[in-house]
Amino acid sequence: MSPADKGQLNYIIREALASDLDQIMELEKTCFGSDAWDSKTMRSEVVAKHTYYLAAFEEVKLIGFAGISKLPGNDQADVQTIAVSEAARGKGVGKALMIELLKEARRLNTDELFLEVRADNPAAQNLYLNLGFEHLDTRKRYYQPDDVDAWVMRLQLAKTSIGREPIVLGIETSCDETGVGIVRGNTLLANIISSSMDEHARFGGVVPEIAARAHLEALKPTLDQALAKANLSLKDIDAIAVTNGPGLGGALMVGIGAAKALSVAIEKPIYAVNHLVGHVGVDILERGELQTPTVALLVSGGHTSLLLVRDLLNDVELLGETIDDAAGEAFDKVARVLRLKYPGGPEIDKAAVGGDPKAIRFPRGLSLPKDMEKHRYDFSFSGLKTAVARWVEVAETKDEPFSVADVAASFREAVADVLVTKAINACIDQKVPRLLLGGGVVANARLRELAQERCDAHGIELRIPALSLCTDNGAMIAALGSQLIMAGRAPSSLHFGVDSTLPVTSVQTL
Amino acid sequence: MRDYTLCIDTSAGTTVAVLQAGQVLSEVHFDENMKHAERIGDAIGQALSAAEIKPGQVTNVVVGRGPAPFTGLRIGIAAAVMFAEGSGAKLWGVTSLDAIARAAFDRHKQSSIPLLVTADARRSEVYWALYSGLSESGAPVMIEGPGVAKPAALEDLLAGREFNRTEIKINAADLGKVFDAQQADGSASQNVTALYLREADAVAPKDLREFGKRVSG
Repeated sequence: MSPADKGQLNYIIREALASDLDQIMELEKTCFGSDAWDSKTMRSEVVAKHTYYLAAFEEVKLIGFAGISKLPGNDQADVQTIAVSEAARGKGVGKALMIELLKEARRLNTDELFLEVRADNPAAQNLYLNLGFEHLDTRKRYYQPDDVDAWVMRLQLAKTSIGREPIVLGIETSCDETGVGIVRGNTLLANIISSSMDEHARFGGVVPEIAARAHLEALKPTLDQALAKANLSLKDIDAIAVTNGPGLGGALMVGIGAAKALSVAIEKPIYAVNHLVGHVGVDILERGELQTPTVALLVSGGHTSLLLVRDLLNDVELLGETIDDAAGEAFDKVARVLRLKYPGGPEIDKAAVGGDPKAIRFPRGLSLPKDMEKHRYDFSFSGLKTAVARWVEVAETKDEPFSVADVAASFREAVADVLVTKAINACIDQKVPRLLLGGGVVANARLRELAQERCDAHGIELRIPALSLCTDNGAMIAALGSQLIMAGRAPSSLHFGVDSTLPVTSVQTL
Repeated sequence: MRDYTLCIDTSAGTTVAVLQAGQVLSEVHFDENMKHAERIGDAIGQALSAAEIKPGQVTNVVVGRGPAPFTGLRIGIAAAVMFAEGSGAKLWGVTSLDAIARAAFDRHKQSSIPLLVTADARRSEVYWALYSGLSESGAPVMIEGPGVAKPAALEDLLAGREFNRTEIKINAADLGKVFDAQQADGSASQNVTALYLREADAVAPKDLREFGKRVSG
């Protein structure tokens, strides 16, 4: 979808200043009418030392503001107000303001954040519930003269049931890697991966049944190794996190069965988390935090997705994804055409050494102007793969010798070019100066090189986590579980199942 | 005796039981041959609470190894492996068809005629095994199988032989009874490898480049 389709707004959020007061008062009066604060109260609120007010601007026009108050020495904070202009409603401005307020509340070491919301405003209530607030109490007839009840809502920030950084065990079985990782808070303690890749080689691609059988065999040894590496026993684990999608159903089920039984056996909570969001969150293990907003390009044998991440736990948006093959699949298939081994990525990298990337102009999927309207952030690699196969077939039929290095280099260039072009477009369109790469295809040297070149040219910061954290792994699942716990999220139930096509908007399945 | 045995089987539905000294303390059954991943955690948790024990009190975990269609079977075995790991209990494997045989022999007492046990293998096939009876301690004695076959092929194989059949469904409590008997016999096994009896469904292409060939004009 193009930005215009969503009626997306281009706006910025910054701290509110005294010089914004005129616009703030204007919006205050339109939004709250007779309930509006007077300008003196508003001024003292906005400039006070114990408050933090944010303002959202579209160009120079104020479209929203919000503030919290936290008195010194108090562990609790209150959301004082939030207002969004009528024209800008339903476009995520309120949520974006709330997310920024939550970040500030965390910086201020707030234990609990409170707010009141009208009982007859389900849209606002849902926004707060989705952010992790709970409905604590109802104040009868709080809003006068409308005679409407108020919901008192509370978010427990950084308040884990254990009162310290949680030790989380993560289990990942969504494709052909059995991953078990252990983290403490934002710190990586162990990341053990067992891959069934070799067993898939003669099939030229991942066979789901073979992957699932391999997970069953690999789980216990992988877990034992992870515990040994972290120098911990299962008694030390505070919670289990497990991938429940997206991925191969049969493979995911093995991890879920294992994780649930482990959770029951050690009497610790379980968190069912999203595989793709895990790929994004893994940066926390290297940098201690995830800088947001960021665009994330996740490329593997199973996924090719472009995400806009405004907040890891609360606001992940799928901008686009492949409409046919994943990029990694295209590498595998073209490797076969060139009689190279599986997996194709590293083999094509090797074969491309010394080749001319401009020798053959292979098609860039969904890059024509008409495609860019409908599929600006989507990818397609099926046509590219067929184009390479045709090219080789024609050369072979004519019995013409050709340079495998040129074909490999030109194909690789086409993949890297389209991936990076669309990711950079997203950064520019969304005014996000950061790009994060994830997924196994990040191992591809040319992709990394081209991403760095173009990011440098556009002043975009590029993040590429270590390769062991880019490929599928349990550490990223543990890290996401740990973030959920530290944000005060309730654990998942024991009833959750697999969702092979779990959307990125579902970070945790309850 | 303070030994508690947790029994798990997902060869058909999801069935979990807790036994102590041959007595069944609790049973939880979800008959549907699906949603094993959704149910396994609740089934184990509920069986333990109904037996009024903590996970740490479990001394033996017994899991049905099938034979069974692939996806569900693995969930029970993965769960059993991890429960044993987490609780410190010993892990044991029992052929799921043995549990059905034990229940059938318990119900009909011993006859001199062998018993044929079958289970749905999907794809119009059945898993089967033939049993002569129970050992002295009560463990089913398998004389042929386990195998997987089309029903017609199985009829041909057993043509002219006399045997009884059973329609009894798998129950994890029977798995526990088989395990108790096998322990008494000294034949209990710690092998929990899944009995798929069929290769993974994939066929390696003769020419890995075939996908690229033109299918139609």
